[in-house]
Amino acid sequence: MNARDESPQITPVARYLWVLIALLSLLALSAGTALLKLGSFNTIINLGISVIKTLLVMTVFMHETEARNLTRLVSALGFVWLAMLITLSLFDFLTRAPVPAPWQ
Amino acid sequence: MNASAGDVPRDPSYDSVEEQYDDATQQREAATLGMWVFLATEILFFGVLFASYTICRVLYPEGFAAASRHTDMLLGTIETAVLLISSSSIALAVRAIKLDQRGRAAVMMAGTAVLGLSFLVMHGFEYYTEYTEHLIPGIDFAQSGPHAHAVELFFCLYYFITGFHSLHVMVGVTMIGVLAIRVVRGAFGSRRYTTLELTALYWHLVDIVWIFVYPMVYLVGRSG
Repeated sequence: MNARDESPQITPVARYLWVLIALLSLLALSAGTALLKLGSFNTIINLGISVIKTLLVMTVFMHETEARNLTRLVSALGFVWLAMLITLSLFDFLTRAPVPAPWQ
Repeated sequence: MNASAGDVPRDPSYDSVEEQYDDATQQREAATLGMWVFLATEILFFGVLFASYTICRVLYPEGFAAASRHTDMLLGTIETAVLLISSSSIALAVRAIKLDQRGRAAVMMAGTAVLGLSFLVMHGFEYYTEYTEHLIPGIDFAQSGPHAHAVELFFCLYYFITGFHSLHVMVGVTMIGVLAIRVVRGAFGSRRYTTLELTALYWHLVDIVWIFVYPMVYLVGRSG
């Protein structure tokens, strides 16, 4: 039995604090841009910022960079399934012509 | 849980290695993998609600913008900030326990629990405001106008999404509170922190869910 090195990897405190500052700045940015008239870009910017925030939380707070590849794969899978669920549902709703019932 | 092998005496400062694992690292990696499988099911649990929201918003863009303007953007932004800060504090707690700094870890965990509780209190105030504004679909809903039906749909999804999220926050606060007490009693240390690390993963996922809830609920139609 070869016990591997068990000493845990320690992330510097500064990195956590920088990520927190980045997350709060992104929050301010999404709140600020939501007030500007950008049309559909409001939604795109807001979702984009949410994705960046999620990646920051996953890579630094959830230690995905230190995780094994299998763990990374499984952690990505949930999001992949979600993307499939939403995309395929939208295929249906965006391509279906509404046919009103005779009494409508 | 019994140390049936008997060849290694159980040391409370170590994670006991079950017989199917080579060493503590492999056991911890397996536990992390298992936690991520659970988190994937959580993503899909909220994902169904997010998918419903997406479809309804595509069908009723103006109604959803009108409904979103009924929510409290300032309170929602503060709640988001509170959850983001709580995520970093639980990350710092896990770091502290890996360095055997039990006191600091307990303080950071207590801070996380308090932030989680303050999130719940703020959300309670939001629910109360919506109650006084008659925005409870099916029970007390007094909206009229061309978008009334879409506003009702939005608030149905709003209560399901934020309600289940708050339930997750409650579970997280309870777990973190209990673990903070166990940290003070010396149950965890630099060789025994898997439970803490997995609870932190859960808390971060609750945070990630809210990162998407925030623009979906509070930021629609704010520029109009």
